[in-house]
Amino acid sequence: MERNQYLEMFIDESTEHLQAVNDNLMKLEQNPGDTAIVDEVFRSAHTLKGMAATMGYEDLASLTHQMENVLDGIRNDKIEADSGVMDVVFASVDDLEAMVTDIASGGEGRRDVSAIVNRLEHVEKGTAPAEEKTSGAIIPESRALTYDDFERTVIQQAGEQDFNAYSVKISLSPDVILKAARVYMVFEVLEQAGEVVKSVPSVEELEDEQFELDFTIVLITKETQEDIQQRILKVSEVKTAEVKTVQIDEKPEEMKEEKNQFEEEAALPAEQGVRSPEPVSEASQKPVEKSTESSAAPQSKTIRVNIDRLDSLMNLFEELVIDRGRLEQISKELESSELTDTVEHMSRISGDLQSIILTMRMVPVEQVFNRFPRMVRSLSKELEKKVSLDIIGAETELDRTVIDEIGDPLVHLLRNSIDHGIEIPEKRRNAGKPETGHITLKAYHSGNHVFIEVSDDGGGINRDKVLQKALKSGVVSPENAAQLSDRQVYELLFSSGLSTADEISDISGRGVGLDVVKNKIESLGGTVSVDSSAGEGTHFLIQLPLTLSIISVMLVEVQDEVYAVPLSSIIETAIIKKDDIMAAHNQKVIDFRGSVVPLIDLTSFFDVPVTREENDYYSVVIVRKGEKMAALVVNSFIGQQEIVLKSLGDYLQNIFAISGATILGNGKVALILDCNALIK
Amino acid sequence: MAVKVLIVDDAAFMRMMIKDILVKNDFDVVGEAGDGAQAVEMYKDASPDLVTMDITMPEMDGITALKEIKKHDPDANIIMCSAMGQQAMVIDAIQAGAKDFIVKPFQADRVLEAINKSLA
Repeated sequence: MERNQYLEMFIDESTEHLQAVNDNLMKLEQNPGDTAIVDEVFRSAHTLKGMAATMGYEDLASLTHQMENVLDGIRNDKIEADSGVMDVVFASVDDLEAMVTDIASGGEGRRDVSAIVNRLEHVEKGTAPAEEKTSGAIIPESRALTYDDFERTVIQQAGEQDFNAYSVKISLSPDVILKAARVYMVFEVLEQAGEVVKSVPSVEELEDEQFELDFTIVLITKETQEDIQQRILKVSEVKTAEVKTVQIDEKPEEMKEEKNQFEEEAALPAEQGVRSPEPVSEASQKPVEKSTESSAAPQSKTIRVNIDRLDSLMNLFEELVIDRGRLEQISKELESSELTDTVEHMSRISGDLQSIILTMRMVPVEQVFNRFPRMVRSLSKELEKKVSLDIIGAETELDRTVIDEIGDPLVHLLRNSIDHGIEIPEKRRNAGKPETGHITLKAYHSGNHVFIEVSDDGGGINRDKVLQKALKSGVVSPENAAQLSDRQVYELLFSSGLSTADEISDISGRGVGLDVVKNKIESLGGTVSVDSSAGEGTHFLIQLPLTLSIISVMLVEVQDEVYAVPLSSIIETAIIKKDDIMAAHNQKVIDFRGSVVPLIDLTSFFDVPVTREENDYYSVVIVRKGEKMAALVVNSFIGQQEIVLKSLGDYLQNIFAISGATILGNGKVALILDCNALIK
Repeated sequence: MAVKVLIVDDAAFMRMMIKDILVKNDFDVVGEAGDGAQAVEMYKDASPDLVTMDITMPEMDGITALKEIKKHDPDANIIMCSAMGQQAMVIDAIQAGAKDFIVKPFQADRVLEAINKSLA
């Protein structure tokens, strides 16, 4: 099968369904009795199974199939959804996820699932053996074929009233899947034509699929042999149908022949033989009804758009923003009121357009947060701690690019909180805290930024321990150590090669730690900070830009060149006298509101050709990075503007202190300063 | 004239699979529905010659949808699509008037066999 064309869709939908399974399982664990949730999980698993099987991912299909059986057991109250059972189900979801991930990254989705399938089977059988016994008990003791008195009479009377009695031997095709349902269809067809007197094996056995591919039915009808045969062959997956006349009273020998033909197949009281397979369907009606009643989650109408298309839409729009800037400038110069009106209108429209395009790229952080409850659950089990996770603001939206990148840092912070932050229950009890530790994950919008907080009510950061480590690894010098504020000490956690875990565990503390988190977040244009109070807990705060490509900047002139300084890092602008400049450690500094700020002259920093005369006053832009500040000397301020961030391209990578470029209204290019790099 | 078919399945992926099989064999796919409720609406609009109906779906499951369609058109030709392990539901569906059923994973020839037999 050409499955590549479906692959993308398959992966998308599978991921969605797995997420739904995960979510609902978490809910189920909270409300074990809620069958509506089980129904949801069941449906997701079921769809997944169908898709996986169609795509030929057999391991995936067989695991979902087994999981489905267990879920069915839970749904029908045959299996109790206790913690042990849930563990197995969760473990299988993990395996499913691993397989889907493998497929998504181009693999075959193969995985040895026999162990987990075994566990699931164990769960299923362990508490639900009754199911199979019932069918076994029904099998009659005598397996010899005899027509009892009632059947004889019926067949005899049929002959007298010009009915024909046929024995019909039916073979299903070898690849038939739901045998019982096929049998049911055959029965239905035959009952339309006449009356089924008996069947071998019995109807119950047929329903339970306790037969190979052949079965025989005795039928009383007015129709001809050919008609009956034709009718049966119309049912799908029926291979052959042999129709023979039965004449019971006149030729008892033939009955014996028939007996050979039926061999060890069973006879049944007539009333049972005639009955259609009602019992099965009755029993199964309950779950069906339940699933109809269950309130399915409302689905909003959406279409899937490839992110690349959104990216190119964004790109085109950016071009438009540039042109808009030019038009605004031209209309200012021409002073034609009509043109100005039109341009103003266009500016407004394009402003709206911009916000629509931006929101189109926004996805709720939910996507990332979703997997955390599972992770926290399994981690806390592993570490024998009691932890509850509160998620607030999962609906907060972030740019898709940011969402894709933010997962790992958050995982890291959460692991940190569970491993280092939350104490073991015993210790918590001794400290007079509730045994269950609490981690809060909170996301919210504020201004042009999104904030994500990870806070725990654990032991807090041990200042001395951090300092010792920092001294040992040479991150701080002994002289500096004593002067550091608590906050500065905590910030040390973000420097590379520092982990406070006494023992290296699987979970965290392998030396690659918070510095990676910090780098990642800064590469997204965000910042991360930490606060803590001993005995009460730790609080990480991540600040992220709403979007990456359109930013507000202040345009400044350095000689004849224009540079853009991101507004997010500007504290303020000032004009200072030449006399106010002082020197410290061979570095020019100024006194800015009580703190000493180093002065960086952009003209010499970027080697800009000097075209203007110096005067006694300097214009400076004061920028900051975390707690550190710097004053950038420029020639003049132009003003604030929204600009489109463009990368410098592959051939101009790693230019120091320049994060990109933008095209201005007059068509000139302005470089965008990377203040973070500048201050380092 | 080509036979008009309505495809009902909650997974877009499965719909695409069936659609491909059908289109390659000169059937006219007149609509695709993602749940039972949609299916009933679309049936009324398009009056197709045949419906392929998934059983497990959100909003309204396939069996309920089948019954609804049968109410509207007792002669409706509906084939159920099921996965393994849904025997009881399949039987329910046939009792309710489904013409045939096919089991996922679909094989093109099985799908076509079921369709051709139920149209015959």
